[in-house]
Amino acid sequence: MLSLDQVSVTFNAGTPNEVRALRDISLLVEDGEFVTVIGSNGAGKSTLFNVISGAAEPDSGHIQLDEEDITYWPEHRRSHDIGRVFQDPRLGTCPGLTIRENLSLAAIHGRNAGFRRDVKMAEESWFFEQLERQHLGLENRLDADVALLSGGQRQAITLVMATLTKPKLLLLDEHTAALDPNAAEQVIALTQELAEANDLCVVMITHSMQQACDLGDRVIMMNRGRIEFEIAGEERKNLQPADLIDRFHSLADGTELTDAQLLG
Amino acid sequence: MRGILLAVVVAGFMSLGNVNIGAIGQGLGYALAGVTVFMTFRVLGFVDLTVDGAFPIGGAACAILIVNGHSPEFAVLMGFVAGALTGLATALIDIIFKIEGLLASIIVITAAYTVTLHVMEGKSNIPLLGEETLISRHSKAFRTWLVEQFGDQMRRQSTNLLEIILFGFIVLIVLGILYWFLRTEIGLAIRATGKNPQMVRATGLNHNMMIVIGLMVANGLAGVAGSLVVQQFGFADVSLGFGLIVRGLAAVIIGEVLLRPRTVGQLLIAAVTGMLVFDISRAWIFSALDLPTTDIQFVSALVVLAALGAPRLYDRWKAYRQRLGG
Repeated sequence: MLSLDQVSVTFNAGTPNEVRALRDISLLVEDGEFVTVIGSNGAGKSTLFNVISGAAEPDSGHIQLDEEDITYWPEHRRSHDIGRVFQDPRLGTCPGLTIRENLSLAAIHGRNAGFRRDVKMAEESWFFEQLERQHLGLENRLDADVALLSGGQRQAITLVMATLTKPKLLLLDEHTAALDPNAAEQVIALTQELAEANDLCVVMITHSMQQACDLGDRVIMMNRGRIEFEIAGEERKNLQPADLIDRFHSLADGTELTDAQLLG
Repeated sequence: MRGILLAVVVAGFMSLGNVNIGAIGQGLGYALAGVTVFMTFRVLGFVDLTVDGAFPIGGAACAILIVNGHSPEFAVLMGFVAGALTGLATALIDIIFKIEGLLASIIVITAAYTVTLHVMEGKSNIPLLGEETLISRHSKAFRTWLVEQFGDQMRRQSTNLLEIILFGFIVLIVLGILYWFLRTEIGLAIRATGKNPQMVRATGLNHNMMIVIGLMVANGLAGVAGSLVVQQFGFADVSLGFGLIVRGLAAVIIGEVLLRPRTVGQLLIAAVTGMLVFDISRAWIFSALDLPTTDIQFVSALVVLAALGAPRLYDRWKAYRQRLGG
């Protein structure tokens, strides 16, 4: 369970360039819940993720994961419990290392790196199964340099790595936005499969109204550092992209949608 | 391009002949400093000039211990420790004060000069004449054996040959350990730190710790190189590390251009090969042009310029030819 209590983040505080990226955000995500987050550029979606994962520090407020207050934990410490996948497929995996070595790194999660050789045989067969399930043909290329793989393949490996050690929370930051439609579909299917199999808390930022309606149990709309509205329950089940776009337009300040958001 | 370069190197070797096989031994002595630069620039992605300070500190520590009657093996080991501590200083300045590697290492080099002088008990030069070193310990027995086997004409080359064998052996062992290390979990994390620090943090590893370990190991190797070279030269000197970073960079680039390494093992071998090729081609230029030793730094700079510049010129020439439709 993830809970944010009145979290605020301000950049360049006290200067003419002051930006209030998050304003008193409160949010509760239950175990096994899948939440999608939409909002225009600069709404604070990525800052929200940064503050949860520890890449940014809040000015005020508290963040709890299960019963622990993680507000001031350093990034690497919370990453034991938080898996994160970025939009750019190059960010989640490491070029110059093979698939096997990348997975080995992810498997270190939660303990200190030691002088063990990269992978034990038991782990290797487990990696193999994980990759085989994706039907990407990667299971026989464990020793291929990750730099040689396509964006979709790298994103799929990143997802497996992010869920490898069963984190409590999975943060997906427009993780299919840079992929072609086919690859995006595959990665989404894998996302759902992994989330259900591990009973994860998932928060997914998306620019696509379609994805926001198709995936998850709840939609959150962010605007100017605030949560503007939430759609859950019965209303969420019957939600169509057109409804979301209407809600967008009804915002008082006339925030504009990009073409990608309308079409996606 | 690669063919031409290989041809030049082979020609260099051939014309070198018996003139100066000492260049090979010297290249092997400096080889681990090339590995230092490979580790910092290529593996950690950290612009680190500390090698210029770690090398003389390692050499000084080694020399002072030998002079005080310790075994040369122990002295080399302490050379590693001294170099590693120099690397630690750079890492801590980078992490604590958030000063980038380039500046942090310049600060450390400046301070290292004084530290080296203090290690050498205030003297700027410590001769090892008559002391037991890795080389002097075996040189007599080796010379007798060599003359017995191959006749009296080998007498003059005996020290050079011994250096090549001893240092070649040490460099191989160190490369073996490093190859193992870079494939352990810590090694993987260090390699990932250079390519994708965000991912290292996302994996729950403290990427600052990886910079600390990486810089300590890398500069420890520079300390070992300093220890070997001190025993080879027969003295430690405070100015021994001058310009070493440029040499190390040249070694890494020459190795990459010549061997096109891909895997970790190949990359390590390329760094060592680069240093050998650098020293051999420099010795070759010296003997071919009959230059005085005062010109050594200038020739070094020229060799580095050639190693850095040639691939770029070649690329531009290729692009020019393509524009002409050739």
